[in-house]
Amino acid sequence: MNTRQASALHIWIVPGAVWLALLLLLALTVGSAYVPLGIFNSILNLTIAAIKVLLVLLFFMKLRSSSPLLRLAAMAGLFWLAFMFVLTAGDYLTRQ
Amino acid sequence: MSEHSPALREPWPDLARQREGVAFGVWAFLATEVLFFGGLFLGYAIYRNTFPEAFHIAAKETDVFYGTLNTAILLTSSLTMAVAAEAAEAGFRRMTLWCLSATAVFGIAFLVTKGFEYHDDLSKGLFPGPGFSLHPPATQLFWAFYWVATGVHAIHLTIGVSVVGTVATALYRRRLPLEASTFEGVALYWHFVDIVWIILLPLLYLVGRAS
Repeated sequence: MNTRQASALHIWIVPGAVWLALLLLLALTVGSAYVPLGIFNSILNLTIAAIKVLLVLLFFMKLRSSSPLLRLAAMAGLFWLAFMFVLTAGDYLTRQ
Repeated sequence: MSEHSPALREPWPDLARQREGVAFGVWAFLATEVLFFGGLFLGYAIYRNTFPEAFHIAAKETDVFYGTLNTAILLTSSLTMAVAAEAAEAGFRRMTLWCLSATAVFGIAFLVTKGFEYHDDLSKGLFPGPGFSLHPPATQLFWAFYWVATGVHAIHLTIGVSVVGTVATALYRRRLPLEASTFEGVALYWHFVDIVWIILLPLLYLVGRAS
């Protein structure tokens, strides 16, 4: 194998490992949904979803190696979304 | 060296700055998308909190098999998309073309699977309105969210498939140079659509399975 082929294969290593982790987390979340855990079913499923999202953001969307400008831009939407959720929940969850 | 690259566009002084600009622009667009889908998720959260039993009854009727299969397909499409962007940056033309094509094919496979699932849903009377098969009435709220959220997601994915197809064709016909900053921008959008589905999976398919 020449060096060019070797570096072409090399590209697959990190995304491939992330993909495997994502599929394992998928199996875990679907499997655990059938185990009666009460409220913790939802908590576990949402936590696993958050980990999967984080893996995609950091590795596939490259935030791990992005400049601060891009990281800030990526967080801007979530920042305003947090306001929307907190203020709406502050209304609905405190109604008598 | 990048000064004379055919991929370099006005007003960028070099390709590195251009790539940063493209990614910044796509992230700014994705922030509006986060708020768009976020509004849907917020509505879901409030209604589920208001009608917890109805949401458990309604969510049990979704098809876990199709949901899980489609998640696996979409995660795999994100792998090929990520590799396509990396391969383009590293200068591997054939690998980029193959990975872009695979990404589009996985996207189409998702939409076809979704079509079969929609057909099953409709034949089980799960479209809100006259003839809706579940009780209590609040179960319709869950299914209204199901149709709107998966429908809007499918539209996003259809756009993604056409964009990936267009970019792959342009690269194949050598109308787009391999070092173009386009691939990175397309990849960011594709991964975002994947993220929306990762969040939809527990909200639509995994609620109330254990009880």
